[in-house]
Amino acid sequence: MAKKSISLSKEFLKGLWDENPVLRMLLGLCPTLAVTNSAINGLAMGLATTFVLLSSSVIISLLRKVIPHQVRIAGYIVIIATFVTVADRYMAAFLPEISKALGPYVPLIVVNCVILGRQEAFASKNGVGRSIIDALGMGSGFILVLLVLGSIRELFGSATIFNLQILGDWFNPWMIMILPPGAFLTLGLLIGLGNWLNERKVKI
Amino acid sequence: MNKTAKMVIVLTVITALSGAILSTWDGVTKPKIEYHKLQALKAAISDVLPPYDNYEEKDINGYKVYIGKIDGSTQPVGIAFKVEGSGFQGNISIMVGVDPSFTSITGIKVLEQIETPGLGTKIVEDPSNKSNIFWFPEQFTDVVIEPEIVVLKNKIPQKPNEVQAISGATISSKAVVRILNDNIQNLKESYKSVN
Amino acid sequence: MNLLLLFISAAIVNNFVLTYFLGICPFVGVSKRISSAVSMGLAVMFVMTITAAVTWLIYHLLLVPYHIEILEYVSFILVIASLVQLVEMFIKKVSKPLYDTLGIYLPLITTNCAILGLALFSVLREYSFAESMVFGVGAGAGFTLALVIMAGIREELELSNIPKPFRGAGITMIVAGSLALAFMGFAGLI
Repeated sequence: MAKKSISLSKEFLKGLWDENPVLRMLLGLCPTLAVTNSAINGLAMGLATTFVLLSSSVIISLLRKVIPHQVRIAGYIVIIATFVTVADRYMAAFLPEISKALGPYVPLIVVNCVILGRQEAFASKNGVGRSIIDALGMGSGFILVLLVLGSIRELFGSATIFNLQILGDWFNPWMIMILPPGAFLTLGLLIGLGNWLNERKVKI
Repeated sequence: MNKTAKMVIVLTVITALSGAILSTWDGVTKPKIEYHKLQALKAAISDVLPPYDNYEEKDINGYKVYIGKIDGSTQPVGIAFKVEGSGFQGNISIMVGVDPSFTSITGIKVLEQIETPGLGTKIVEDPSNKSNIFWFPEQFTDVVIEPEIVVLKNKIPQKPNEVQAISGATISSKAVVRILNDNIQNLKESYKSVN
Repeated sequence: MNLLLLFISAAIVNNFVLTYFLGICPFVGVSKRISSAVSMGLAVMFVMTITAAVTWLIYHLLLVPYHIEILEYVSFILVIASLVQLVEMFIKKVSKPLYDTLGIYLPLITTNCAILGLALFSVLREYSFAESMVFGVGAGAGFTLALVIMAGIREELELSNIPKPFRGAGITMIVAGSLALAFMGFAGLI
């Protein structure tokens, strides 16, 4: 609880960079790699994950004194899975195109370590207000990475971003970028870039 | 309160609440999802058949068959059905329409595939062919099924039962043709014996 | 579908780790030593096979007859979590050496997306009971294969001079990219 002193804005900003779930903590890598073949898919996945993260954090933070310690993980995953089902059915009913593109990766949000990790590390120990800020910060950090990764892969793989033509006809799309190897390579470079920037910041 | 009892009660309450919320949500979203499914099915059928007023659904030899009809006429305009088989990397499923005598194809539409992006996916659409991105599936319209469809590599089709393979995706092209040949012959016999 | 083809497809052509990105967390975390990679792989394969069977039964004998498919995700994740616990207790009782090798990896498996992914995929693809079992074993074998290859490469990498920001996860991802590229070569097999 020593962290209590840090301000709310810091609580939010830590998710964007210092404790970015993907680049710094290496959590939630499966959806990060799997759905970022286009910017729109990355954004949709980021939003769905943030929704689940935020709702679960609120509920779990409210129930943190009620749920017995021994069965907390079981309780958490039921709550998380419930919200994932809500999000999954919502997308299937109202956004069928996106739901089809993301496929089984929406239900896989259940096992996204970012969500369970935040419940265990934060929501179960903090009040609702702080948990909301934390969830929003982590969610934004996650969306940010997915969006950047999705945009880079779409730009080089299909010459577009959000389906808008960016590179002209002279550019021959690099198919590899929208295939699985492109996902690994781009994320590897991004993680390296993140570490490099972080080191420089510390030195200055 | 007893610790074990509390554990059981809390978990049961959480699970019960979750069940209640989800079944309510199921009631809200299910009709919508069913509606989208039906729309997608109707769109696929109308893509592969000539214009029709309504269709009749039948189960023949394990295939779901949709028979397109025009009001006031007993003769169907065409027969649509879904066929499946393995492609280069996984399952390909196709909606195919044939004329009532099973001699030629009225149209095909690839519903699902996981072929290599940029190569095998040209069985659905080919963005590199600016004049007609749907050239591969459209070739099958009016192709003659008898004795069977033949794929040509790097040659322009001459005979009515020939189609051209996608360059760089011969296996995917052949897979589509094989799936069509096998299943159409299969259904042909049983359809004729039923009618 | 032919069961042998299904096995090859799950293990090699559509490798869970390298084409579906399932089970990436242990792939990055537990791939530093070949010995621990083998243990983790075997633990996952074991749990996957049981999960494939149990979730199939639950889906087709419980959820479908009572029209409560909406509870799919909740019930699957609960089943997996309890299965992992049971397997852990069982192994502890039956074989102490086995528990010492696999024990620490078992709790990690609950949140391994490959397990839930397996259950979801076999529902989505409408596999029969036998098919889903074969799919489970194949996917587990594929996971083990990817993990062990990766660990072999990483043991060598420790001796090489990698730019500092890329050490650890960065270089692992880039190597995984090359592996994924190599595995694409298997695509024509089925």
